Amino acid sequence: MRVADLVNDDASLISRRCWADQQVYELEKRGIFGRAWLFLGHESQIREPGDFVQAYMCETPVILARGGDGGIHASINSCTHRGLPVCRASHGNTRRFVCPYHSWSYTVEGDLVTIPQESEVRCKPDKSALGLKRVPRVESWRGLVFGSFDEAIIPLEDYLGDMRFYLDAFFGRFPGGIEFLGAPHRWVMDANWKLPVENQLGDVNHGAFLHAAIIPREIQQQIEAIGYSAVTAPGHGATFRLMPEDAPVDEVAWGMEGMGAILGTDEVRQYLRDVQAQAAERVGDLRARMKGLTYGIYPNLSFLWSNTSFKVSHPRGPGKVEYWSWAVVPADAPDTIKQTLRRNYSSFFGPGGILEQEDSEVWVQQYRGASIDFADDRPFFYGLGLGEEAGHPQLPGLVSVTANEFYARHFFRRWRDDLQSVEGGQ
Amino acid sequence: MTTVSLQTTPEEQRALERFYFHEARLLDNRQYRQWLALLCPDISYRLPARTNLMVDNRQRGCEDMISVERELEGADSLGCPLREETYVHLMLRVERAFKVNSWSENPPPRTRRIVGNVELMARKGEALEVLSNFHLFYARPGSADFLYSGQRRDTLLAGSDGYRLRQRDVVLDYADINFPTVGLLF
Repeated sequence: MRVADLVNDDASLISRRCWADQQVYELEKRGIFGRAWLFLGHESQIREPGDFVQAYMCETPVILARGGDGGIHASINSCTHRGLPVCRASHGNTRRFVCPYHSWSYTVEGDLVTIPQESEVRCKPDKSALGLKRVPRVESWRGLVFGSFDEAIIPLEDYLGDMRFYLDAFFGRFPGGIEFLGAPHRWVMDANWKLPVENQLGDVNHGAFLHAAIIPREIQQQIEAIGYSAVTAPGHGATFRLMPEDAPVDEVAWGMEGMGAILGTDEVRQYLRDVQAQAAERVGDLRARMKGLTYGIYPNLSFLWSNTSFKVSHPRGPGKVEYWSWAVVPADAPDTIKQTLRRNYSSFFGPGGILEQEDSEVWVQQYRGASIDFADDRPFFYGLGLGEEAGHPQLPGLVSVTANEFYARHFFRRWRDDLQSVEGGQ
Repeated sequence: MTTVSLQTTPEEQRALERFYFHEARLLDNRQYRQWLALLCPDISYRLPARTNLMVDNRQRGCEDMISVERELEGADSLGCPLREETYVHLMLRVERAFKVNSWSENPPPRTRRIVGNVELMARKGEALEVLSNFHLFYARPGSADFLYSGQRRDTLLAGSDGYRLRQRDVVLDYADINFPTVGLLF
């Protein structure tokens, strides 16, 4: 198997082996997850000293914590003595993480503070060298915390690049930014991690088909008429609608088409209108008219603006994925409005969502198709709209209609480069 | 929550169980529209999220240390329940089942619900608070089989033509979800 044979040069043909091969997966671990910026959590989840949440960097368990110094710390959740996880809770607040086996204990910053057996031996271990392994690079932007195993990686802001323009179109609407509500919803599927990523990176065109039981045809017609897909860098993408300048506020405002607003009170709808009324001042005329759909940040972070959820696709081998998703709300909204708006997410997405059950199913079924024998001469066709993307006077990145699959082709070209860089044991 | 159920009559206990067995049979027979008729129009149907929490050392020795309630992110919390639904949501779910594009359940899954431990916990006018446990076996076509286990915390309204479901909180016995969906009618 050579990586060069898996993705052709224009990435219009993608081998089934990209999805369902253990060797490829091992290369992904080193070439992508060992080197990229990976999403760990949001600062709103760890406000107070001692607050922590669990995270993953591929299959590596990580504790993300607010230290006594107010700083953000990310450590690998594995005791230096025998390797057990020292944190067994999904989130919480603590002074110490204690390993169950021999009660070695660590601060939330990851420093080893107690070896109970130490007093019985003459040669004292150097505890300062035996702390939890730190994630070597941790940076945050707009409250989004990322970590990387690559000490030499470029700064997070440069990595995000022009995706910041599109992310700020949402974050910038709210004076207090956004916050994540509660623990992530997590569920495991027999699928490859890349398909949920691709789905959220730009594949809005499955909506009216896979989800035809729920999504009306008019939504698809609107997306065809005023929908855009942008790729700011390979693997990063955004899809959105750009509403007409004279569109009524109720059609432009974020959240108005969600279940929270539809079933909620007038207070909720007025809140959303008030946010929109300030949008042009806060994010500019162009971005005030943006009504986002799906966003993706390489390799495995997604943001579903339309249903206001962040998602991470954690690989668990080539054929298993643990998908995490959070409801996201404006940080400075009253609690009752947050509780209403979270239903924009949970009604349709997450493990109980009316729409996402169909997505989960096709991700599982795609893995079956990718795993079959005797069809390697039929790679998957990724050629829709080949070469039809172009620069745009106002929108950063390459831009096209949403049916153009260039978002996925760019993802796989970057994917191929990343895997080739570690191919052959480099 | 009280720990002992109310004293009730055998007739009332039997009527409650008949309601739940009928409901289970409608759902297993995919007679979802008839199931909708058992709901109050203002129904609240919720699944709290469930989390793996660190036990609080200061509560050691107390029941609160390991209480079920502290693991739940429910409607009143500032977490996010798995589901917080109204009649509109449930109607969408039911109508979806009769469309060809309900791809995850087309062909339809096979289900079997066993409902038990039916306990009348409180009576507030016409409203009855009733607990029940369930096991739901779920076999999706071409997929693995799954067993859902949980508790239902219901409020039923007693009317002249039987009970109507006004509120249901479904507490699933899982924090780590290994199912393709928790979007079923529990």
